[in-house]
Amino acid sequence: MLDRLKDIVRKTSINVCIVNCGGCNGCDVELVACLSPRYDLEQYGIYLQNNPRDADIILLTGPVTEQWEDKLRRIYAKTPEPKLVLAVGNCPQTGSVFAQEGGRVSAPASNFIPIDGAVSGCPPSPPEIINAILNVAPDAMVAKSHENKKIKDDEDEV
Amino acid sequence: MIVPIGPVHPGLKEPLRLKLETQGERVVKAEIDYGYVHRGIEKIMEGKTWQKCIYLAERICGICSYEHTQSFAEVLEHMAGVYAPPRAQFLRVITNELDRIQSHYLANSTFFKCLDHELLFMKVLELREYAMDSIELLTGNRVNMGWNVLGGVRMDANEEHFNAILENLKVIEENHDRIVELFSEGSVLALRTKGVGEMTREEALKGRAVGPIGRASGLKHDCREFHPTYRDHLDFSPIWRKEGDNYARVMNRFDEIPQSIDLIKQAIDNMPKGDIRVPVEVNTGYSEWVNEAPRGEVKYMCETNGNLIKHISIRTPSITNIDSCAKYMLTNVPTVADAVATYASCDPCIACAERVQVLNRDTNEKIVKDMF
Repeated sequence: MLDRLKDIVRKTSINVCIVNCGGCNGCDVELVACLSPRYDLEQYGIYLQNNPRDADIILLTGPVTEQWEDKLRRIYAKTPEPKLVLAVGNCPQTGSVFAQEGGRVSAPASNFIPIDGAVSGCPPSPPEIINAILNVAPDAMVAKSHENKKIKDDEDEV
Repeated sequence: MIVPIGPVHPGLKEPLRLKLETQGERVVKAEIDYGYVHRGIEKIMEGKTWQKCIYLAERICGICSYEHTQSFAEVLEHMAGVYAPPRAQFLRVITNELDRIQSHYLANSTFFKCLDHELLFMKVLELREYAMDSIELLTGNRVNMGWNVLGGVRMDANEEHFNAILENLKVIEENHDRIVELFSEGSVLALRTKGVGEMTREEALKGRAVGPIGRASGLKHDCREFHPTYRDHLDFSPIWRKEGDNYARVMNRFDEIPQSIDLIKQAIDNMPKGDIRVPVEVNTGYSEWVNEAPRGEVKYMCETNGNLIKHISIRTPSITNIDSCAKYMLTNVPTVADAVATYASCDPCIACAERVQVLNRDTNEKIVKDMF
């Protein structure tokens, strides 16, 4: 009973935290545009959080620059379980134009933290971003919480 | 006490660490740590042709991405002595001003978000979407457009495009005054913006503040005055203010939006007919070009070897603005919340600012960690 209630709450209230690990901020601008009344991210129950400690989903933008290599791991560790990482734009997936000789980036971001989903585009438009979050997040959050619970129960039995 | 803010902060959008030295609630001094967004774009550009570099120039900054491609194209056109045909120049003016409108609205909405004024934040973002629509209509993309090429622009526009843009601008014009009134007449907003984060003209000169930040402090400097298209064909004079506080900076940006709309209308009315692109051959040489980005003066210094870029150095407006903000604006701010708003009022763009990293050649380690 309590678990089912928790699942419903998890599905309808999703807190996201934007982490820009060194992009051109084109994706961040589009994420801010998602908040505007035309797209209105909050009508879907998705809320923007300042703090990774309060977030369920990390929205990752940008190729990982040198200063972010350790900080990204730390931010991921600080986010409470169950958590998801969604890569927004081409940069966290491949490094985009910066992954060339002379560029000081260490893309892809999956070298440092596990990535659960990705939206391609340079940058993806606001409807694409909202669509991706809504397609991936609610079910994945519930599945992940069940998985975590199962692992915990198994450990308890042992 | 030292209050650290960032690097992850929704008001700042981009990663940067602000260290505020406080006495009680009052902020007396501020320090800024850069170094989170250095990607080495100038180094990547070396030894490549312009066809590859123009995409890199676009991705220096996502907000003023258009101005960077225009400057990059114009610096090489200037070197070759071949300029874009008049129609392409006028189309460039239209896109440039649309980009300025959306950038100014975004900067002001970020400022209102930092003041926790949700209504104005939403209203301003809503208006910004009309400018974004026009950009998408004209160039095919919202942020990174890929529209400029050497010697012109990639796509032509027709009467239908212009009519749709004028309709969008009409919506902006109708709602703009109401929003400005909400801001300038609101008593609570006036308390939190007037007289906060002041920078005098002398300080702005010392800190080399440019763009709307410098103009709000009384520096009547706008690079559009010297740009050939604006100088020869369009009626334009810079907007400036004397106060130099947060209110002046936000109002200066608001006041520039009707001017941009006026410039777009002038460009559409006087649109010449003809080609939109001419071939440009890049040869060995050196040239400089200055343009007015939404945040101020952006300077490109480019040296070529044959048709390859030998060395390029890009001076963006944000670096001087952020520095003068840290040195002069954040010296006597009443509260920490106001300090964040003051920082947002200088329209920071970290992705623009981070151009340099000093390395040890043998070990490839950073010598100066947080330069800029």
